[in-house]
Amino acid sequence: MSYIGQRLTRKEDNHLLTGRGLFLGDIRLPRMMEAAILRSPIAHGEITRIDTSRALEIPGVHAVVTAQDLEGDIGPITRPFYKTIPEHVARETNLVVHPYRAQLLAAEKVFRVGEPVAVVLAVDRYVAEDALEAIEVEYEPLEPLTDPMSAMRDGAPQLHPEVPGNIHCSFHTGSGDVIAAFEDAEHTMSTHIRVGRSIGSPIETRGVVAEFDRSTGSLSIWATQQKPHLLRSYLSEMLGMPEAHIRVVSPDMGGSFGGGIYNEEILLPFLATRLKRPIRWIEDRRENLGNARHTRDQYHDVEVAFNSDGTIVGLKDRFLIDAGAYNPFVITLSYNTAAHLRSEFKIDNFDVEGICVLTNKRDNTPVRGAGRTSATFVIDRIVDMVASRLGQDPADIRRKNLIPGEMMPYDMGMLYRDGGRIVYDSGDYPAQFEKALKLADYESFRAKKLAAREEGRRIGIGISAHVEGSGFGPHEGATIRIDESGHVTVHSGSNPHGQSHETVLAQVCADALGVTPDQVTVRAGDTDLIAHGGGTFASRSAVTAGSAVHAAAGRLRTKVLAIAAGILEVSEHDLVVADGSIAVRGVPDSSLSFADVARAAAPGPGSRLPEGIGPGLEETDYFVPPTVTYSSGTHLAVVEVDAETGMVAVLEYYVVDDCGLILNPTVVDGQQHGGVAHGVGNALLEEVFYDESGQLLNASFMDYLLPTAADVPSITVEHETHLSPLNPLGIKGAGEGAAVSPPAAIANAIINALEPLDIEITEMPMSPSRVWRAIQEAQSVGD
Amino acid sequence: MTKIDIRFVVNGQEAVGAAEPRMTLADYLREELGLTGTHLGCEHGVCGACTILLNGETVRSCLMLAVQADGQILQTVEGLEEPDGRLHPVQEAFSRHHALQCGFCTPGFLMSVVEFLEEGATTDEQQIRERLSGNLCRCTGYHNIVRAVQELAEHQS
Repeated sequence: MSYIGQRLTRKEDNHLLTGRGLFLGDIRLPRMMEAAILRSPIAHGEITRIDTSRALEIPGVHAVVTAQDLEGDIGPITRPFYKTIPEHVARETNLVVHPYRAQLLAAEKVFRVGEPVAVVLAVDRYVAEDALEAIEVEYEPLEPLTDPMSAMRDGAPQLHPEVPGNIHCSFHTGSGDVIAAFEDAEHTMSTHIRVGRSIGSPIETRGVVAEFDRSTGSLSIWATQQKPHLLRSYLSEMLGMPEAHIRVVSPDMGGSFGGGIYNEEILLPFLATRLKRPIRWIEDRRENLGNARHTRDQYHDVEVAFNSDGTIVGLKDRFLIDAGAYNPFVITLSYNTAAHLRSEFKIDNFDVEGICVLTNKRDNTPVRGAGRTSATFVIDRIVDMVASRLGQDPADIRRKNLIPGEMMPYDMGMLYRDGGRIVYDSGDYPAQFEKALKLADYESFRAKKLAAREEGRRIGIGISAHVEGSGFGPHEGATIRIDESGHVTVHSGSNPHGQSHETVLAQVCADALGVTPDQVTVRAGDTDLIAHGGGTFASRSAVTAGSAVHAAAGRLRTKVLAIAAGILEVSEHDLVVADGSIAVRGVPDSSLSFADVARAAAPGPGSRLPEGIGPGLEETDYFVPPTVTYSSGTHLAVVEVDAETGMVAVLEYYVVDDCGLILNPTVVDGQQHGGVAHGVGNALLEEVFYDESGQLLNASFMDYLLPTAADVPSITVEHETHLSPLNPLGIKGAGEGAAVSPPAAIANAIINALEPLDIEITEMPMSPSRVWRAIQEAQSVGD
Repeated sequence: MTKIDIRFVVNGQEAVGAAEPRMTLADYLREELGLTGTHLGCEHGVCGACTILLNGETVRSCLMLAVQADGQILQTVEGLEEPDGRLHPVQEAFSRHHALQCGFCTPGFLMSVVEFLEEGATTDEQQIRERLSGNLCRCTGYHNIVRAVQELAEHQS
């Protein structure tokens, strides 16, 4: 039987439900010190004096570390991340990048509120935080840059000396002949679209535990990290230690929706090696909201060319990202936006330019959706604007422009960031679209809307669709071993933080190997488990880790059969494998267990290995995707708008998703639900505010609002499945797509609800004040 | 700082110890008693991950001081499971409905739902959503949590 596709209950639930999870804050080591970090209170300035003497006098304080203590011992972060961009991509996209040095602790200058200035190590966190208050730092304030447009103007203060004009990087690419398309088009239209800044906000904050073993000279780090192997690599370089002496563990993680490598993850392990005591640091929520990296924050100038029949013939977009004080992911976000801007539509003439501008704010980096939420907000607003201009139903404009199913795979005429051409590998967008409209009963909505209007209620429906380049490489691995008890262990380089790897990868392994999922244990999140690992991001784990598990298990099965055939003295072709036992076809009592085969495969005198087959039952495989695979989805939102207050309630939500082969429908649907809720938050509630001096105004959950159960509706999910040809099982990513479409679908629904008022929404989130203002403006035009 | 003696019952067992007056109840449970199932998500009383039962009623253990628990009866997530390892019906329902993903907010939700059911929960979805809105979850979109609670409430009524 096949376990793939079954709604198996999760293996990871029991320990999480009973309080036996091991999250970062649950780790406590003997002689452990707790760290607290002094952070800059100003956005831009020079440090003129630091005095730590009073802090050091506090009983229980072991050390206070400033940039001075690091000098000559550990350098700034200079790793050229941009060099991971393939050369031909850089060339073809006219990429310009200005590398800079990112300090671990602020030495002479601070570039944002919250930049680490000093670290206190003390007996517990209470004492460590007392000591923060006793550190004296004097700053000479410099002019803060809080607006990217001003940051680019001539004469603006220069943040990093290596970055002229504060423009860290830019690219310019496209496809077709956009100039001719605009000349020939019957209509053109332009608009400005703004996507607000938001925060990933996992419910667990970040943290690091580091322990240096003086007897072996090795370093162990536990971190809330999506990419433990990458952190190991950074540490090896910056601490000058062999990778083999560094172990990075990502324990149970309370969500994580983006982030990368952080200063604290380098600094605290380094201090553990110098101070020779274990260190634990756990950020508080205020620190998280200000210092876990932010996301979105884009400004688009878009132009669209279209004909009277609704066909969109050209699209131009010049956009700017407020990148914050550092831009460690370089063009990851901006290029993702460009690559996904045309979504499911056939718009062959395309011109896009993205620039990342530095300001005195927190860095702007990928968070669930990673550039696609902004792209989709832009294109789906544009499509509805075209519909409005032509007086047509937005659904009909979409029908006109969706890439027809028979044209798949479809070449979008530009490169993806991984070096592959953007070729949508599979899917049927019109079929997905019609299924979604049917699911939401779009055709009868007009009648419902009129009936509601009779009762004085304003309800509306909105559509959005997205694609997602998922399963990003460059590789992911799996090592699978059968021990002498017959149990199977999978070591994965991709570690979960809620995505159900233990269950789903066990299902893949069970099918390929011929065992039950109960016989399989999946372990991940530990660099000692497997030599190379990627991690969990970019909706990649099912695609990459799933494919690696499938291949490694397949090879292991071949070996098991060869050994069993030798023992049973039959041909391998006469053997059948099911639920962990091997039998000769038609002779059930001939069976061998996996334990029998594992014992026969062990080295030594008892070994019963056929000639030419080495000892042990263990196989490793690394899956290297040719490029990403394109999952997609169509969303419909039904909202009610209170025209008096601008409050928006999402009443119904429909998703038709295509993530290729579904490994576990319950898990996939769960990813959809969570993504939609994240998107509802981005659409209506979540926005970071900085004032003109660069102070973050809403660094608490009282002011930065995450959606609650009362803000999110029940979500109906269906699938329109088309297998990917780019991996053996046909999997496409499912983790992020659902977070992409909600802001666009909700914006379009708000406009629909307020018709015939001609509301303009060009900014997200659609907070009550913005919706209210849009209503007032439309009414004053109408008057 | 001088410590103050405290004594309370947690999960049916007496806990005797001492805490600095400023230590939160959550930190005391986690750091002194090793009850790390109670999680800290915001430490300002919004996210609900640290929710426990104090004399049968939910409280945010991050907003209480350990000394305030003196003489009280506490229940944390570790106290839900039967001694023989059988899960509490709320835990079972959460697993059955895939009402947890990363599991960090889960202990707080479980304690809130236990209280909700004790009070005689409604099966009305909107009321359930309102009731659950004191706990934040970033993974599940609440959909399956609501389903689990609805099923529990239906069973009860």
